[in-house]
Amino acid sequence: MTNINPRLTQSFRFLRATYADGVAELAYAFDQGEEMVERIRFPDAPALPAERQHAFDAALRLLHLVAGVSYYKAGVPPKIEVEPLDEATADLADALYLHGLAEFAYRNGLDLRGRVAFPRGGATPVAAPVLDLPKRTLVPIGGGKDSLVAVEAIKSIGGAATAVWIGNSPLIAACAERTGLPTLNIQRELSPVLFELNRLGAWNGHIPVTAVNSAILALAAILYGYDSIAFANERSASAATLEYEGQQVNHQWSKGFAFEAMLSDWLHTHVAADLDYCSLLRPYSELAITRAFARLTPYFDAFSSCNRNFRILGPKPADRWCGQCPKCHFVFLALAPFLPKPRLLSIFGRNLLDDETQAAGFDALLEYQDHKPFECVGEGAEARAAMYALSQRPEWQEDALVARFIREILPQLDHSQLAIEPWMLPSDEHRVPARLQPALQAIG
Amino acid sequence: MTPQNPAPLPADAPWIVMKFGGTSVATLPRWQNIRELIASRRAEGARVLVVVSALTGITDALKQLCAEGNGDKRKAAAGAIAQRHHELLGHMQLALPDKLAARLGDLAALAADGPLALGELAWAAQVQAHGELMSSALGAAYLTASGLPTQWVDARECLAAIALPNQNERTRLLSATVEAQPDPALSARLAAQGEVFITQGFIAREAQGRTVLLGRGGSDTSASYFGALLKAARVEIWTDVAGMFTANPRQVPGARLLQRLDYEEAQEIATTGAKVLHPRCLSPLREPRVPLLIKDTNRPELEGTVIGPEVREHAPSVKAISARKGLTLVSMESVGMWQQVGFLADVFAQFKKHGLSVDLIGSAETNVTVSLDPTENLLDSDAVAALATDLAKVCRVKVIAPCAAITLVGRGMRSMLHTLSNVLAEFGQLRVHLISQSSNNLNLTFVVDETVVDELLPHLHELLIAAGALRTDDSALFGPSWQALYGSGEAATQGTAWWRTPAERERLLALAAQATPRYVYHLPTVRAQARAMKSLGVVDRVHYAVKANTHPAILRALASEGFAFECVSPGELKAVLAAVPDSAPLLFTPNFARRADYLEALATRATITLDALHPLEHWGELFRGREIALRVDLGRGLGHHEKVRTGGNGSKFGLPVEQLDAFLRLADAHQVSVRGLHAHLGSGVLDPKHWGEVYAQLASLAERIGSVAFLNIGGGLGVPSHPGEAPLDMAALDRVLREVRAAYPHYRLWMEPGRYLVADAGVLLARVTQTKGKGNLRYLGVDTGMDSLIRPTLYDAWHEIVNLTRIDTPAEALYQVVGPICESGDVLGTDRRLPEAQEGDVMLIAQAGAYGKVMSSRYNLRDEADEVVLDD
Repeated sequence: MTNINPRLTQSFRFLRATYADGVAELAYAFDQGEEMVERIRFPDAPALPAERQHAFDAALRLLHLVAGVSYYKAGVPPKIEVEPLDEATADLADALYLHGLAEFAYRNGLDLRGRVAFPRGGATPVAAPVLDLPKRTLVPIGGGKDSLVAVEAIKSIGGAATAVWIGNSPLIAACAERTGLPTLNIQRELSPVLFELNRLGAWNGHIPVTAVNSAILALAAILYGYDSIAFANERSASAATLEYEGQQVNHQWSKGFAFEAMLSDWLHTHVAADLDYCSLLRPYSELAITRAFARLTPYFDAFSSCNRNFRILGPKPADRWCGQCPKCHFVFLALAPFLPKPRLLSIFGRNLLDDETQAAGFDALLEYQDHKPFECVGEGAEARAAMYALSQRPEWQEDALVARFIREILPQLDHSQLAIEPWMLPSDEHRVPARLQPALQAIG
Repeated sequence: MTPQNPAPLPADAPWIVMKFGGTSVATLPRWQNIRELIASRRAEGARVLVVVSALTGITDALKQLCAEGNGDKRKAAAGAIAQRHHELLGHMQLALPDKLAARLGDLAALAADGPLALGELAWAAQVQAHGELMSSALGAAYLTASGLPTQWVDARECLAAIALPNQNERTRLLSATVEAQPDPALSARLAAQGEVFITQGFIAREAQGRTVLLGRGGSDTSASYFGALLKAARVEIWTDVAGMFTANPRQVPGARLLQRLDYEEAQEIATTGAKVLHPRCLSPLREPRVPLLIKDTNRPELEGTVIGPEVREHAPSVKAISARKGLTLVSMESVGMWQQVGFLADVFAQFKKHGLSVDLIGSAETNVTVSLDPTENLLDSDAVAALATDLAKVCRVKVIAPCAAITLVGRGMRSMLHTLSNVLAEFGQLRVHLISQSSNNLNLTFVVDETVVDELLPHLHELLIAAGALRTDDSALFGPSWQALYGSGEAATQGTAWWRTPAERERLLALAAQATPRYVYHLPTVRAQARAMKSLGVVDRVHYAVKANTHPAILRALASEGFAFECVSPGELKAVLAAVPDSAPLLFTPNFARRADYLEALATRATITLDALHPLEHWGELFRGREIALRVDLGRGLGHHEKVRTGGNGSKFGLPVEQLDAFLRLADAHQVSVRGLHAHLGSGVLDPKHWGEVYAQLASLAERIGSVAFLNIGGGLGVPSHPGEAPLDMAALDRVLREVRAAYPHYRLWMEPGRYLVADAGVLLARVTQTKGKGNLRYLGVDTGMDSLIRPTLYDAWHEIVNLTRIDTPAEALYQVVGPICESGDVLGTDRRLPEAQEGDVMLIAQAGAYGKVMSSRYNLRDEADEVVLDD
């Protein structure tokens, strides 16, 4: 039993990262306190080819650094103790801890600037070689619409892919099953000491979980042999949620393009020149992705983007959609212009736009009387475009919140900024490798 | 066994039509069963006409054959179908009868020829008719061989399809209609041929002589047509369930068997949900007044459902409640429709134009709202958008979905409205989009949001019974519950109440002789319930919610069973602290308590539950450094109907989930650690999955809060009060909770039952004071009422009442049991069947152990009932 006050710790220590028999062990500690060991289990792990050993070790070191963020945040001590890092690695780690924890810091009234400083001075390694990794893609599945759009895009070009997910969500398992792809379910066990620290008053809040998952998948790609990892993060993930004391706070920083570029470069130089890390949906707006998803009827009764972690699945829409969180609000609103109304309502089991009590939630999406909520949702302008589209549709315009939009919000808006069509145009900013670029046709 | 050779029947012997479905005719044992049933009807002195379906699976196989383009594959399919019949013949040890051989030959030829000669639809009808033609030929051979000479009748010789104006070729051939009037000539012709007959369901012949099919529910409909043609004494539909029920048993396991219905009621129930009978098979029987009987082939001893002409000698009762989901409502609003000729005609033309079929209609002077049934056209085309666009030109349109129609069915619905107040109050908590009541006075339909239905339906069924609107006490109309007939073997049944044994009864009579009114508590029953509660191994800590009954002997008994205690006031804390050992954990869960109450509780060992921001906002220092629990209101919209009572903005309990972050910030500011989350979903809940849902919802909330160690899912475990009602299935509850536990193993699980532990243990004894007749009502007065037991007045609670003095006397009188308090609401029980009572008789009011004495008052300055504890 540990018995420390996590908020009074002085240093966060990276102890060791090891791998054996399909299990990676990542060890950390605060001060001289009890070891915290996180285990990542890779099912049916093959023997590692010798030529990939070097890359594997580099990816494991990265995972150790990245996964540490869950533990570091419990105490946020002034000092970080780890073997000195080379410049690129230290830049990546500093950025991840500073920006990835920005929302956490804002919520807890902390300022991490100047506090997050990984030790530097390690030698820059020689550039990573081409490993001739098999031409197939790991596609992480989240249970929401975006990863399913990515899956179908890759399927549309006959690309070899595996649906991968981390953890025990039955909803994700059901969605992965529905894709018809081979599946890979990696397990992640947090150290129980972290729960104990929580009970002892640890700092708590949002961590950049996409970064942790990305690092796990980089290791998996080397272990199982994949040349690409294709996430499904969209364009607006790069937008800051708000600015706080001069610092940009982005709830989904590790889903943003800055992180994608940083990690992608780092993997090319430190792990394997032919391991590509990208987001397939980066060129697209939420609305464009939602429109693509509206064609994927077979997923309608399986997917959910809802924030609530549904560990027990039931047959009813209410067993997948809480109907109260920003994700439910946004996905409902974004799908509405692209689906027959009765079909949309049958997905959610209720009409969120005809429920007065949800007004504040939708206001936040529209950035009306409120800032953007801390959730992975599209830009306010997309929400306004979707709402505007509904306001022009007789089957929607009498619903309570659409009527309220027409009455109260629309008169204050510049109508020229409300068209939905511009949101359908893809941008050029993305890192999709040449092999996968034809898949983009299926989306836009 | 019935005699093999009963006396020959006269020519005018009555007819009984018996219909058997596909599974009933698919195996030898089922045919043996059929043979016995036919013989018993024959022994009643009736001619029997048996109508059979195809062997199970054969109709589908024939449909597949029809869809097959390749002739060889069709022939192979016909061969496989023939093989099924050969196998059954083998089991019956019968040679291939000529009639069946001819049918198999025909089918092989049809398969080989394909549709070209006859035309697609006529050929398909001809092919599919073979399922019944073959099964009936096989049955005739078997029955005759087993000593029951049976004549094979070609149904097409008897049933003539009529052409209807709105039919096309497809419906003419594949879902034909027959006009069946009593035909004495047919009866006489058949009577001359024998006594037992077998024919085909599902098929008929049209004017051009082609074979046609009767469509869905066709075999039942055939039986009805024959019942009408022969003006049978009755038509018996033999199936796998004993009849129609008061609700869909999958939704309401407590649904009761309906033993008597009139045609219209049955048809209404069949169209609003019941699947056992196709609605169209009733109309042929109505005119000739032939009763239809539904029977369970596997349980022929069960009474089944009799559907016949209107029954007048019964009190009006709701007969069934049903729900249809997936409705879309279109509400149209315009002052233009007021007194405008043709407005509605124009509006409805739009529905026709977009291919949408209207079902329910509700209207006001300036609004018409209609419902659309779920169809693929509705869900996956832009039909609704296009309709709304067209309608928007003439009125304001609102599309409301997904909705569900909840229908109460019963003859004379309007005369029952006054009994429905509690039921209607339930709807008052919901969004009701449309109410429809047809002029035939058979139904009352509410259209509500679909999300509420699964929880609402069982609850409404309970309320209808409790309100006396669904008169399950009338044993002529209502049979056993589906749960009792078909529920899994492990389903618990109500035990015999402790006070029914002769010894206890003597003891109670002696106690009543000393003084009444008087509460008597039976500790062995408390202990038995405590142990049932402890059988939930998954629950880590059980608290007794002491508000139910604070008698020290009960507190001590539960303490020695290892229970913790939940209190809601300083007074309760004092009572518990005085009675139980220091080791018993305490929980303090008040609501809108004053600051001083918390101060008092903080001085005890009790864990304190907060359920608002106020205490931390204003008295945060009081709780600094403390560990507390938080009661949340899971709010509506999460699928819980029960929470309408203890959740939602209309309830004063719990912190709304949207204030959770604010609460946690306040807690953090005062170094208060939230160790537990609590929610309570209401009381009297008999469905285990409610707690599973609350548990899972709390667990997913707890994940957002690092400090939570336990989840308190409350109490509310129901205690059945009506005879025959199934008690809460603790094994099922344990299973449900374990499932959630497996997903969230890191939280300890707490519960806090009250009534469950003590209700059955207590009875209230009273003595008869006076009786009075008033109109056709008879009042039975006792020496206490709402002053001792307010639950019937306050909650319309139903308590069993018995005349303990005359417990063995037949209950022939119908009494309103009332107390002496000067309030018209002072009624303990309405319409109770009891023995004729006399002044001084001892009356026992059961299940008075919970919320009895603790809620009593000295209103009218009557002396309070005293309390006696029985420890053995």
